[in-house]
Amino acid sequence: MDVRSNRREQGGSSAITANRLLDGRTVWLGAHGWSEQIAEARVIANTDIEAAIEDARARAAADSVMAIYGVQLLPDTATPEPLTMRERIRAFGPSVHPAFAISPQEGQRHE
Amino acid sequence: MSDTATRPLPVGHYTYDQVDHDFLRARVEQFRDQVARRISGELSEDEFKPLRLMNGLYHQLHAYMLRVAVPYGTMDARQVRMLAHIARTYDRDYGHFTTRQNIQFNWIRLEDTPEILEQLASVEMHAIQTSGNCIRNVTSDEFAGAAADELVDPRVHAEILRQWSTLHPEFTFLPRKFKIAISGSPHDRVAARFHDIGVVAKPGPDGAVRFEVFVGGGMGRTPIVGVRIHDHLPEEDLLAYLEAILRVYNAYGRRDNIYKARIKILVQALGLDAFREKVEAEFAAMDRARYRLTPETVAAIRARFGTPDLIAPADAPAKLAADRAANPHFDRWARTNTHPHRAPGFICVAVSVKPAGGIPGDATSHQIDALADIAERFSFDELRVTHMQNIVFGHVRQDELLALWHALGEAGLATPNLGLIGDIIACPGLDYCALANARSIPIAQKISARFADPTLQEQIGRIHVNISGCINACGHHHAGHIGILGVDKKGEEFFQITLGGSAEDDAAIGQIIGPALPEDATVDAVARLIETYLTLRQEGERFLDTYRRLGQAPFKDSVYATA
Ligand code: SF4
Repeated sequence: MDVRSNRREQGGSSAITANRLLDGRTVWLGAHGWSEQIAEARVIANTDIEAAIEDARARAAADSVMAIYGVQLLPDTATPEPLTMRERIRAFGPSVHPAFAISPQEGQRHE
Repeated sequence: MSDTATRPLPVGHYTYDQVDHDFLRARVEQFRDQVARRISGELSEDEFKPLRLMNGLYHQLHAYMLRVAVPYGTMDARQVRMLAHIARTYDRDYGHFTTRQNIQFNWIRLEDTPEILEQLASVEMHAIQTSGNCIRNVTSDEFAGAAADELVDPRVHAEILRQWSTLHPEFTFLPRKFKIAISGSPHDRVAARFHDIGVVAKPGPDGAVRFEVFVGGGMGRTPIVGVRIHDHLPEEDLLAYLEAILRVYNAYGRRDNIYKARIKILVQALGLDAFREKVEAEFAAMDRARYRLTPETVAAIRARFGTPDLIAPADAPAKLAADRAANPHFDRWARTNTHPHRAPGFICVAVSVKPAGGIPGDATSHQIDALADIAERFSFDELRVTHMQNIVFGHVRQDELLALWHALGEAGLATPNLGLIGDIIACPGLDYCALANARSIPIAQKISARFADPTLQEQIGRIHVNISGCINACGHHHAGHIGILGVDKKGEEFFQITLGGSAEDDAAIGQIIGPALPEDATVDAVARLIETYLTLRQEGERFLDTYRRLGQAPFKDSVYATA
């Protein structure tokens, strides 16, 4: 499942994503653990990303997350934004339901 | 908790007996234990995944998705209210009706699932057979038991197939999923030729029920129109014959390549004659007495179905005619969204869950409750989900149609577009589905908004627009008069257009007309295809007829010719 989205370009950077075990929601690995907000994701150079993914996978059970993989980011954005449409939808919510857009409030409610 | 002793048998579907109730209760408890073990870490995701899928629980892009089975698409109001309750309490207030007559909830929490399944079980519902390589929930004609053109009510046999296939020990790990549809009308409303097995019930020369059996149809990566393997299967052999087909598939179907694992590939590889020979050999060798469907068994199943008392006032048709004459909006809706009923004074109603610019098949808990209320008030407490992602009320008195239309209008469900360009089938696509290449819903919304004018829609006439977000074809794009398939080009969405498909008696697979286009260009292309059709059509032709008469060239030119 993750392989198709796990495309990376040399030289760029990525964020690490997963889904929470209990509710399945998309989360991003930040400086203070997993967050629903991609804005809080750690931006990791692609040269270092495989090792970071391995680390995160080793803690998956303890962190109650699953399906961990790396997501290529767009270069030069103010906050991290995925390159592909698929990952943008995972990060920002379904494009057809403004009410379901992922907002800071939403993130806090489910933490 | 069974309350069947105190309530009349529901119309249109089978009523559980104690064995059914006990089975479901045990199944819920088993899953509760599995979920607890997953949450505690005792089960890994790899270990848990097949268990949750057997209970209809997927993991999609944003959350868990629970797909609830609606056997042959039929529910009573109590069951529908339960779905509204689940949408309100455990989801984000929505349910999504699928092209397999089921409903799915897109925002489910793992820890809530056992409770949801327990509540579903209390109204004789579950999520079994909605996933995995088993025989999936059996689908049927949305006008079953009601349509004027029907020869045999297929739901009793659909229920027999459901009971035969549910957790069938031999067929729990088939090479791939297996879909069966059954109809009893000469007009194919179930896409019988696009199923692994399509069954069409009809009366034989002696009046007894016979079945025409199609095999090896399907969509997906390799779309194939199914072929007739039996023309007049006697009722008593229905289970034995289907069992023989499944055994041949189970033995010879490929397990080494997921893209070649469906029965359609096997039938093509062997050829129909060789495949039939194997089925006949299996059929001849099996213990037929064990599988014999006796008239007594059929009668016993039939006895657990309620039947509607179809008595309407003599002036019901006159009242309807007067109501239509007095209200052009109602008249338009009655023209597009009803179907002739077999009983005098009655009519079938098809409710569009496709408002202009809306999400095909999405309904709020409020709307789902309203549908339950309307079923209770106007249609013997029963409704059906259609494979077009709409809702049908089977038995409505003609003199009450106006009141029903008003009730639908209050719930935002009176869109007059059944079978027209606004009645688009679209899968959830990349907005929800983990397998998607591209989004299906936004294109559906843009097309339906562009053609929102009901007069224009009627002018265009009958047309099926089908959209899938990937080659799995859940939006049945191969069978669309206009089909749209989402493809991924380096992380960007493009859409391939096919023309000329049909899922009905004239079943055909749509043909690709040219290179894939970006989203807005695809919507423009659809508009140009429609313009071309309106210019070139002859009296009485549907889009599909004009396309078939003239071939691809003028349509292709309209999309790709540069000015
Ligand atoms: S067709 Fe593809 S994108 Fe659409 S629901 Fe099926 S698997 Fe998902």
